[in-house]
Amino acid sequence: MIVCVAVVGHQNNPLYIQSFTEADDALKLHHIVHCSLDVVDERVNNPKKSGPMLNETFLGLLYPIENYKVYGYLTNTKVKFILVTTDLDVKDADVRNFFRRFHAAYVDAVSNPFHVPGKKITSRTFAERVSTIVKSFGFSSAG
Amino acid sequence: MDPATTPLGQMLLDEITPVVMLLSTPSVEQSCLKNGLSFLQTLRPFCSFNNIDVPVRTASDQPYRLHKFKLRLFYASDVRKPDLMVAKEQLKQVITEAGDKMFSDSRSDVPKINHELSSSEHQNTPSWFQFLNKELVRVASFSDHEAFDHPVICLLAVSSKDEQPINRFIDLFNANKLPSLLNDGAMDPKISKHYLLVHDNQDGPTDRASKIFTEMRNAFGTIDCSLLCINSSLDAPIKHQDNPWALYITDASPTPSQDLACFLNIDDINEIKNLMQDLSSKHIIPNMEQKIRVLNQQVSATRKGFKNQIKNLWWRKGKEDGADSLNGPTYNFNSIESQIRVLGDYAFMLRDYELALSNYRLISTDYKIDKAWKRYAGVQEMMGLTYFMLDQSRKEAEYCMENAFTTYLKLGSFGQLNATRCGLWWIEMLKARDEYKEAATVYFRICGEDILHSAVMLEQASYCYLLSKPSMLRKYGFHLVLSGEQYKKCDQIKHAIRTYKSALSVFRGTTWGYINDHVHFHIGQWYASLGMYDVAVKHMMEILACSHQSKTTQELFLGDFLQIVEKNGRTFEVTKLQLPVINISSLKVVFEDYRTFGTPSAVNTKEVSWRSLEEEMLPSFSAAKTNWLELQSKLISKKDIQSNVCVAGEAVNVSFEFKNPLLISIPISGVTLVCKYSASTDEVKSNENESSLEKDDEADLFRNRSNDNSSFLVSEVDFLLGGGETTMIQLSVTPRAEGILEIHGVKWKLSGKIVGFHNFELSLPNRNAGKGRRKTKHLQNEKFKFMVIKSIPKLQGSIHPLPEKAYAGDLRQLVLELRNPSEFPVKNLKMKISHPRFLIIGKQENIRSEFPACLRKKTDSVQCDADSNIMSDTVFLFPEGTSVQGETPLLWPLWFRAAVPGDISLYMSIYYEMVDVSSVIRYRTLRLHYNVQVLPSLDVSFQTSPSQLRLQEFLVRMDIVNKTNSESFQVYQLSSVGHHWEISLLQPPDTIFPSQSLMAGQAISCFFTLKKSRKFSALEDNVSTLPVRSDVRLVPQSSDDLVYDINIAPLINFHHYERLQQEVSYKGDFNAVDFVLISRPFKSNNDPGFSDPPHLMSHHACHFSIASTGPISWLIDGPQTLHHDFSASFCEISLKMHLYNSSGATAFVRIDTLDSAGNGGHNSNINVAQTTTPDNQAGWHDITPANNELKVTSPKFLENQPVKALSLESVSPYIWSGSSSTHLHVEAMSLAEIPLQICVFSPGTYDLSNYVLNWRLPSNGLGDSDETRQHSGKCQGYKHYLTVLQST
Amino acid sequence: MVREVSESCVDSLLTEMVACYCNRFYANKPELAARRIEAIGYQVGHQLSERYTMERPRFTDHLEAIKFICKDFWSELFKKQIDNLKTNHRGTFVLQDNKFRWLARMSVDPSIDNASSVEDNSAPTPENKAAQAMSMHLYFPCGIIRGALSNLGIPCAVSADISNLPACSFVVRIKA
Repeated sequence: MIVCVAVVGHQNNPLYIQSFTEADDALKLHHIVHCSLDVVDERVNNPKKSGPMLNETFLGLLYPIENYKVYGYLTNTKVKFILVTTDLDVKDADVRNFFRRFHAAYVDAVSNPFHVPGKKITSRTFAERVSTIVKSFGFSSAG
Repeated sequence: MDPATTPLGQMLLDEITPVVMLLSTPSVEQSCLKNGLSFLQTLRPFCSFNNIDVPVRTASDQPYRLHKFKLRLFYASDVRKPDLMVAKEQLKQVITEAGDKMFSDSRSDVPKINHELSSSEHQNTPSWFQFLNKELVRVASFSDHEAFDHPVICLLAVSSKDEQPINRFIDLFNANKLPSLLNDGAMDPKISKHYLLVHDNQDGPTDRASKIFTEMRNAFGTIDCSLLCINSSLDAPIKHQDNPWALYITDASPTPSQDLACFLNIDDINEIKNLMQDLSSKHIIPNMEQKIRVLNQQVSATRKGFKNQIKNLWWRKGKEDGADSLNGPTYNFNSIESQIRVLGDYAFMLRDYELALSNYRLISTDYKIDKAWKRYAGVQEMMGLTYFMLDQSRKEAEYCMENAFTTYLKLGSFGQLNATRCGLWWIEMLKARDEYKEAATVYFRICGEDILHSAVMLEQASYCYLLSKPSMLRKYGFHLVLSGEQYKKCDQIKHAIRTYKSALSVFRGTTWGYINDHVHFHIGQWYASLGMYDVAVKHMMEILACSHQSKTTQELFLGDFLQIVEKNGRTFEVTKLQLPVINISSLKVVFEDYRTFGTPSAVNTKEVSWRSLEEEMLPSFSAAKTNWLELQSKLISKKDIQSNVCVAGEAVNVSFEFKNPLLISIPISGVTLVCKYSASTDEVKSNENESSLEKDDEADLFRNRSNDNSSFLVSEVDFLLGGGETTMIQLSVTPRAEGILEIHGVKWKLSGKIVGFHNFELSLPNRNAGKGRRKTKHLQNEKFKFMVIKSIPKLQGSIHPLPEKAYAGDLRQLVLELRNPSEFPVKNLKMKISHPRFLIIGKQENIRSEFPACLRKKTDSVQCDADSNIMSDTVFLFPEGTSVQGETPLLWPLWFRAAVPGDISLYMSIYYEMVDVSSVIRYRTLRLHYNVQVLPSLDVSFQTSPSQLRLQEFLVRMDIVNKTNSESFQVYQLSSVGHHWEISLLQPPDTIFPSQSLMAGQAISCFFTLKKSRKFSALEDNVSTLPVRSDVRLVPQSSDDLVYDINIAPLINFHHYERLQQEVSYKGDFNAVDFVLISRPFKSNNDPGFSDPPHLMSHHACHFSIASTGPISWLIDGPQTLHHDFSASFCEISLKMHLYNSSGATAFVRIDTLDSAGNGGHNSNINVAQTTTPDNQAGWHDITPANNELKVTSPKFLENQPVKALSLESVSPYIWSGSSSTHLHVEAMSLAEIPLQICVFSPGTYDLSNYVLNWRLPSNGLGDSDETRQHSGKCQGYKHYLTVLQST
Repeated sequence: MVREVSESCVDSLLTEMVACYCNRFYANKPELAARRIEAIGYQVGHQLSERYTMERPRFTDHLEAIKFICKDFWSELFKKQIDNLKTNHRGTFVLQDNKFRWLARMSVDPSIDNASSVEDNSAPTPENKAAQAMSMHLYFPCGIIRGALSNLGIPCAVSADISNLPACSFVVRIKA
């Protein structure tokens, strides 16, 4: 299942962090997301690892930590999406698909004229959409 | 790069070196102890040779020279696995004291990260790390599965004092004392020995020694014996300026380092040197070399070559089954495997890395097949190291290390130590190749389950992340936090704090508040647990205003914060307390100089509006507009003009917003202003410069401010600030004496413990204006500095009973009450009111006349002086000599009428002057402001239309709607005000209002007639001066027959204002009529909103022009029906047309009668004119006079719409007989009469409306005054039906 | 779920906006009005670029981003691509649209044209007015371009040039 999704602005400022666990591990997830930024930077700055898929928005598995897997996605506008999941066999396709839908949701959210660019995303509709996407991700990976 | 020079290289050259097992007799030790050294310690400094130039041959006879060499000395008792527990304890202790040390010098603030980056590894990874790692490596030493810890030689030392030294030599080396390694067959017990005779020169001459030495030589052979003479300095102890022992001695030793080895003189030292040199060069190295050869031959004999390989394999398969234990089979020293291992290790120690590597390779496969995992791991480890030393194929090296590491880990607990050591080496390897990131991950992996251990490792990992290129700061921070937690777990608080603090440097200033708070919070907690509360509080402060945290977290934070402060003992004082947040932009300072405020709401209204209101009252305009101080500037020195003026004994109010950023509610108490009072003005200078140093520590400045409030009073506020809410706080300071009062800031108590300060001047916006600073500072002074002048009278005023809510039209009598608490009187009062339409000033005498009775029309009421008491809305001057003083208040009546629905704010300002002119302030104004909400009550509208029946008579239709939802009113009286018009009932009132009242929401319409007043002729002359008033009562006679006189104040005045308000285009029209409807609440079922129900309500509707069709009105007078015998002849009917010219000038009128032949055509274009009329009503503004006229007369024209229909189906026509067009002049205000005549030819009903009446006024005269009034017009005739019947 | 909006609506919205800012809000301060309009465009571009770059790999260099603006972005906005892209390879790009939609329906009255043809050295005031009115309408698209680029991490300054109508060229100067 997806533990946490996050949107991080182009100045590495958190725009949206949502955890989907009952446990009170918000702090840990914050840390994980925060650290994942290092990896993102690394990937972007020397993309030798990501050879063929050069400059693809989907950054793939950033790093495994404890029992989590952290996936990353970097938009053209230098906004990072971070996905933290617990299930260990994740099909890349699923993650890509997830990120695509998530990106769409994000775009709609920031296209709201009342959203201040660079500020935290507080839109409730966005949150709902994200949660639905997350749920569906759970299913698709299960099926 | 030469791997030997890398840290790892150094480490290996130190750690993986031949071991010398030391066996000595007590006497040897004791003679050494004279120098405060053990025998081992005595020798140790001379065990490492930087350039021992020994020729060595490899197994394949390549010669090479060995330069750097080192021996490791151990007492036999120490040649065994070190005790884990002891080691742990030791480590722990090391860490703890390191922690204390680091902590004590890292008391300074958080290290800046960039400086860390610039500094190389050795600065920011503390030295105790190296020591620790060394220890960890050492702990894993003397394992039986690796050979480089096995002693290569045994050094037996016997003192010359001992008797039978030879025997001593023998039994020194007897098996049962030997370390387990030799006994349990892990290594070859036949270890080569070297016999050393130690002679203490203080015991006497060396002859005995030499004698014994010769014996030894005979006994053990010449080569293996040597003699060492020490303590040869018999006289005073010598000091070694650079003591070779100093760095080897741990400070555990009792004696200070400089008198170590005090009896060893230089030749002793040289002797020792030589001894060791010989030992290593002549014995150890050759032995090892020798051994290497032997072993190598054996190995190549048994294992090299294809045949051996096969055999080996097959054989291994054979003894597979035996290999079951986790550790694989046990190999004793003469098993080929251990031989190979020994060979490898020796080769390694002699730097013959190729040989070593080949052997390790060889053996590792065997161990693997045998599942001798520990040994396998050991060999892999060595392979890795060898690869490294060879500096070839890094991949191989790292692969081996990883392999070894994982294998060790697989072994579980008792592989742990080796795993750690292996890991450390691996890490060093990676570091040597600048692969810090990987190093960090390895650190992460060797954490193990020991918490303290893992803490240290994590910290080192974090530093690796910091050093990796590009440096990964976030991971750095993260691992620091992790290690900090671990440190905390095994209560190494100081370490924890240190790590967290350095982690702060990563998170500080980022928007990752969640983490940031957590870090700050724990640092705070931990400092608190160390009892360093001030620092703790400092950190706690950072997170107090954490609005993004959850409620519980906030509670936690606040709770702990308070606890800490509690522990801190004294009430803590904080200059920039974040809780609650002060919204500085909302800061408002209200003081009363010459302007005083009677009502709180008066303060909030803009100064501008007041000025505009007071303009006419204040002595001079310029003064009123600009700063009033110019007025009396002669009285004040220039300097004080900057500062504001306030009056002693009158409060200066400061109001601002407190905002609670948290979700939880916080108790705030003792909110007071912090002020500074200085008696004389020149002291301002002094605290000018003192306010500059006020920045460094406001706290105590505030403190000593707050206690001296002898010369002023400050108000104090307590309140509870709910979660997330904002409250406006109003504080006041009341100066008691003249001087200078400065408001510095505000001071409050958070939940009774923490005192927060806030300095207004410092925190004001736009301070950071670069060059403008001086200026802004100046402005702030102006804002917060007050010149206190001696107290002067101040009026207090109030209006009662002014209702908050009233129904429209509600008429009330109010009383303005002015008090003057001070004993000095004030003189010539003036007053001005903003909305005379709502509030007017009454006359003194009707203060006591009771209301509403005073409005009743007296029977003897003449037309009193109406115009006189209609006052223009200028300043009202109170009568001469009215002075307010003492406790007798001045009462003055006011009239209030709620003119229109809506929220109205009434301003009034009262001006008064001091009697004594000595004061700086000569006059003051009292400003009052009230808000009244006016609800809609009755909605009254009127329509007038000329009656068809009689000239000079109009039909008035009144529509009343009761807009209230509860009240019901009694419509009492309707009065008309207009020149020579008076109103009269059409039907008795009780038919209009059967239930005498108008229920809520009820609508009613009734009709009246408006006819020429009888007095008209009488008042012919002064027609324009005063309007006639006439009243009709709409209540049945039964009730009290009093009539309200709308001709006396205040009704007349209000009526006046209403007229002004409802001003419509053409004024000065004599025919305009105003209606005043007076109503009373019938039965008021009390709406709680109302303090008291309205007594009387008046509704004014003004300017209903009667001369609606323009100046000329006419009508046709004639029979309605008549019988005629058409068989006899056609019928001739004569009619009369009455004309009336209501204008002031002679009108020229022409009447054109149209015969029905041209009727249709003519009508049609009339119809055009008429069909436009509905449009006219629909709000299109066409400005052609004709249409204008049509518009005005709309009701009438609507009436005769049917004309069209009627005229189109043409009934039998009729003919105008007589002239088809008549001209005549009609004098002003005069009647005229024209005879008309028509002929009809058949019975029927005829509409006599098709004639057109043109009229024209001379364009000069009244007409010019306003352009809207038309000068000429053309009207379609009214329809007038005539029915002619055939008479039988 | 592609939502579509009538062109004429957009056109009239644009004109109305310009009119508002120029004649109502900042009647006497044209440069201020210009800045506000440009800011609106900036926000629009900012958000649009977020949307239109959704499915594509990240741009490696500025040129790619500019190309994106010329091709996809432009055709999303105007159903046509930029006709001509010029650059001095030092961070200045000139994007020319030969028939810029938002100017297509704008006319300079002919009297002015021949007037200018007669003696264009002394530019007659009415032409200036017309030009100014046009430039007012061009601040919005400039803002859009700037917003889009800066959201793609390319801070720049954009100005428009209408020397030969209806062709309109936008000059993008990338801040080093």
